[in-house]
Amino acid sequence: MGYYLRKLAFYLTALWAAVTLNFVIPRMLPGNPVDILMAKLQQRGGSVDPAARTAYETLLGTGGKESFATEYLAYLGNLLRGELGVSVSAFPAKVSDVIGDALPWTVVLVGLATLISFLLGVGLGAVVGWKRGTWLDSLVPATTVLSAVPYFWLALILVAALSSGLGWFPLNGGYDVVLDPGWDPEFIGSAIYHGTLPALTIVISSIGGWLLGMRNMMVSAMSEDYVLTARAKGLTDSRIMVRYAARNAVLPSVAGFAISLGFVVSGSIVTEQVFSYPGIGSKLLQAVQNNDYALMQGIFLVITIAVLGANLVVDLLYGLIDARTRDRSTVS
Amino acid sequence: MTWSGKLVTGLGLAALIVLFGLFGPLFTGDPATIRDIGLTPPGGEHLLGTTLTGQDVLAQLAHATRGSLWIGVLVGVMATVLSGVFGIVGAYAGGVVDEAFSLFSNVMLVIPGLPLVIVVAGFVPADQRGTWTISLVLAITGWAAAARVLRAQTLSLRNRDYVAAARVSGERTWRVICVEILPNLLPLLASQFVFAVVLAILSEAGLSFLGLGAANSSTLGTMLYYAQNGFALQREAWWWFVPPGLIIALFGGALALINFSIDEIINPKLRDRARRKRDVVAATAEVAPAEPGAVLTVRNLNVVYQGDNPVHAVKDVSLTLRRGEILGLAGESGCGKTTLAYAINRLHRPPAEVTSGSVTFEDVDVLALGPEELREFRWVRLSMVFQGAMNSLNPVTPIRAQLQDVLRTHRPGMSTPDRELRCAEVLRLVGVDPARLGAYPHELSGGMRQRVMIAMALLLDPQVMIMDEPTTALDVLVQREILNEIKRLRDELGFAVVFITHDLPLLLELSDRIAVMRDGEVVEYADAEDLYLRPQHPYTRELLASFPSLTGEPGALTR
Amino acid sequence: MTTLEVRNLTKKFHGVLAVDDVSFTLTAGRTVALVGASGSGKSTIARMIARLVHPTSGEILLTGPEGVPLPRRSYRDHVQMIFQDPFASLNPFHTVEHHLARPLRLHGRSRTEVPSLLERVSLSPDLARRRPHELSGGQRQRVAIARALAPGARVIIADEPVSMLDVSIRLGILKLLARLQREEDLAVLYITHDLATARHFSDEVLVMHQGRIVERGPSDDVLVRPQDPYTRQLAAAAPNPEARFREGGPS
Repeated sequence: MGYYLRKLAFYLTALWAAVTLNFVIPRMLPGNPVDILMAKLQQRGGSVDPAARTAYETLLGTGGKESFATEYLAYLGNLLRGELGVSVSAFPAKVSDVIGDALPWTVVLVGLATLISFLLGVGLGAVVGWKRGTWLDSLVPATTVLSAVPYFWLALILVAALSSGLGWFPLNGGYDVVLDPGWDPEFIGSAIYHGTLPALTIVISSIGGWLLGMRNMMVSAMSEDYVLTARAKGLTDSRIMVRYAARNAVLPSVAGFAISLGFVVSGSIVTEQVFSYPGIGSKLLQAVQNNDYALMQGIFLVITIAVLGANLVVDLLYGLIDARTRDRSTVS
Repeated sequence: MTWSGKLVTGLGLAALIVLFGLFGPLFTGDPATIRDIGLTPPGGEHLLGTTLTGQDVLAQLAHATRGSLWIGVLVGVMATVLSGVFGIVGAYAGGVVDEAFSLFSNVMLVIPGLPLVIVVAGFVPADQRGTWTISLVLAITGWAAAARVLRAQTLSLRNRDYVAAARVSGERTWRVICVEILPNLLPLLASQFVFAVVLAILSEAGLSFLGLGAANSSTLGTMLYYAQNGFALQREAWWWFVPPGLIIALFGGALALINFSIDEIINPKLRDRARRKRDVVAATAEVAPAEPGAVLTVRNLNVVYQGDNPVHAVKDVSLTLRRGEILGLAGESGCGKTTLAYAINRLHRPPAEVTSGSVTFEDVDVLALGPEELREFRWVRLSMVFQGAMNSLNPVTPIRAQLQDVLRTHRPGMSTPDRELRCAEVLRLVGVDPARLGAYPHELSGGMRQRVMIAMALLLDPQVMIMDEPTTALDVLVQREILNEIKRLRDELGFAVVFITHDLPLLLELSDRIAVMRDGEVVEYADAEDLYLRPQHPYTRELLASFPSLTGEPGALTR
Repeated sequence: MTTLEVRNLTKKFHGVLAVDDVSFTLTAGRTVALVGASGSGKSTIARMIARLVHPTSGEILLTGPEGVPLPRRSYRDHVQMIFQDPFASLNPFHTVEHHLARPLRLHGRSRTEVPSLLERVSLSPDLARRRPHELSGGQRQRVAIARALAPGARVIIADEPVSMLDVSIRLGILKLLARLQREEDLAVLYITHDLATARHFSDEVLVMHQGRIVERGPSDDVLVRPQDPYTRQLAAAAPNPEARFREGGPS
């Protein structure tokens, strides 16, 4: 079980690194975020008492009043209690509430789009690799060029063509604003309708990477001796393709999930902005534009935790599908 | 497209865009000049139309391309240096340094880059966000993936014998890294650099589009930012927002094509294969009547690797395998013995092609079988054992699944308990504890794996087994055990064996008859005893002399 | 006479004994064969003598012609190694010239010696400009031998020098090694799993099993009349057609 413990330890280290980065960045960079925040708070009519100031200082730095270590401990303490401060751009809402409202939208959109794109890309990649030497080969450069297109630009083009031009999809938003959010079919239908185009953007942009990776590994796997043996065994083509070639070829795609997920998350932040989607990416930009540092930091932490969590799940899954990793003594 | 076609297209497209960025600004005039001809469509004086405030889109595009390329190159260089330091140096140093560098790279890899960049950009006041700051931040968040790839490759290069040989020669560490390792990493470094440039241009475009780019910079991203804020989309001013994105996409696509070609240079397997209409069998055989007692008859078989310089790998080979016989096939690497073995079972792949001859298995004309008949023929009548038992077993499934696969496919009517019984039975036959059915290949020793392969070959009681260097990778003692096992099983079960190896003494001890192959031809084909005591062909004599006897005279090896 | 003495050499990898208290001496003009199965520890001994792996304990002592211990710094002037796989031991990026000129320069010689070095291993000096992939396996191994000779080494460690080569050229390489050893009075350690060549090619044989030397002595004694049960097993396992056809075995 060394493998699982090692993975867990690694992600805890990564989490600690992210939390610390979040602590260090505002203290190292120029500017005086606490003063800016206090000024904003005053504009919004919030209380500008010392308590509010202390709360922000814990988050962003006291400017030398307290020792680094004391600040760090106070910061960690606040995090553990889930206190991320008060948002000034959505005053008087707390940062955690703002994130709580926006998070489900992004998790569902990005999660589903990633899953669809992974399954489609890996599936198509397996077929393209298996049928090498046919017209399918030309799919590979085509999809790769698609993944070189900036997400947001693709989003703009899709909106121009499918929404403004043909009127098939709404221009922006996460749901029809005349509806009240809730679990009724009408609202869910509207959310799906509004989410289709953003999801399509993510899928089109990210599918090429999966497809190419899988195709290349498939081609390598097909020249392995175990595939030759499987052919000599007289197994059916579909069985050889799925159980022998693809089963091995998919491993690097799963192992490389972390890299690709980073791209998807980055891309979807910008995509959300284009669609004014009520997710966490739009909130992050809203925070940046309004110098809402507390919200900015909170969102960065939440995104990081989500990405780390997804990677941990994938790594644990990898241990299940490749017995060799569980027995290996070193982390690679 | 061939790999060189991709390379030329990619390089050409990339060069055009670079030239446009370098020299375009010299010809297009001031991009900032405001005119009262907002949103003029393309044509006339303004080839790509104008923006909302009447600025020339073409002039803006040229300056923006230059700006984006500059950032791309800056970040590309910085990220490649960072990944080289953390990937190559760490992997070569090994030990604690490697552990630390690798942990650091992996942590940087899983922390999402763009959100981090946005946060950093958000904290830095707009007037202090210069091109260098943005580039540095992009480089710091973008090097980790490349470092991981470089590390893996360096680790593998570090253990190559030529690195050890350089150290034994007395080369210093930095020279080993720079002169012995680095040149072999160049294709990979090039592809990582190209990738870093694309990523940087894309990320910068995203940042600028969000209004978080470098202050006073002019890139394709800022152009799109202004287009978005000028409601170019809503006003259907496509000439304003389509070209910047198109340049990014084309440049990214061009670099992707270059990377394709680099990949294909590194790994020739990935190259596109020419499309083939012909089957791997071009022969229409006139099946000759088989010799009585023969189970497998090969007549005048020719196999050619087609291509610009066709290689005639098997030339007019005729062999007869009698029931229960062990036929040895001896020869050195490249003599065509493996190609011959594959062709018998039609396992050879393009560009190899059977050009003429026949393979007859009892009453079956093997070369004439349809795809489905061929599949049903394989393993039922003729099974195979390959050289690398490690690689012949699927590494990700337990051996049970790989044994059962055969029964599931060829004995669909068999019940699950019967299948399990049969698998256990064949394992017992080769001396492997049936309890190991649940084991994965990597959990077994080399000899054990080869036994499992032999067990698998026995599953359907085939009349013929082709064994291609089945003991070459094994130790002498294990080899001896496996050979004894093969002889015993042959005596008990009565199958015939085609045993392929370069080890002539082994064949002389094991086989009934031996065929010696050189350059695709069978140069001598005789009973083992005749071949040993009265070799006819000079090559046979040369091979025999190459194996000094342990107990006899030194022969050719007189010092 | 340059002598390399190995005293109580021991190597542990992650707590497992790979080499266990091994001692022997290599002297000029003699070939010692180290035989054993893969994993017996013989390659680890080669790598320790070549200073690629640090011993866990024990000593490797190099003595010069006058019986004076040679300084560590000049160790690599005297001790060189030939690797098993000539396809892996030559850098695909560099020419033959580079492979020979570097060790020459590192040990204070001139690169003008490259042609004569190639001639010593029976290769044409024209090959200097080629890269490894343009050479046959046998030619590559000859280049590797020339590289080992370049520093003027007196002790040569040959780690399975022919096992990756085609059978018909193996004897040629072994004869070349034997000739060089005789003409230049080298001390050679011949590491192999092949008992027959070990017997004919060496003066003394050491049989290794699981990190220990289980039997040693003059090669004819050890390999023709083995005493240790493991050596006997090894000798009996080698394919032996003679027994089948000449001594009345089943035919």
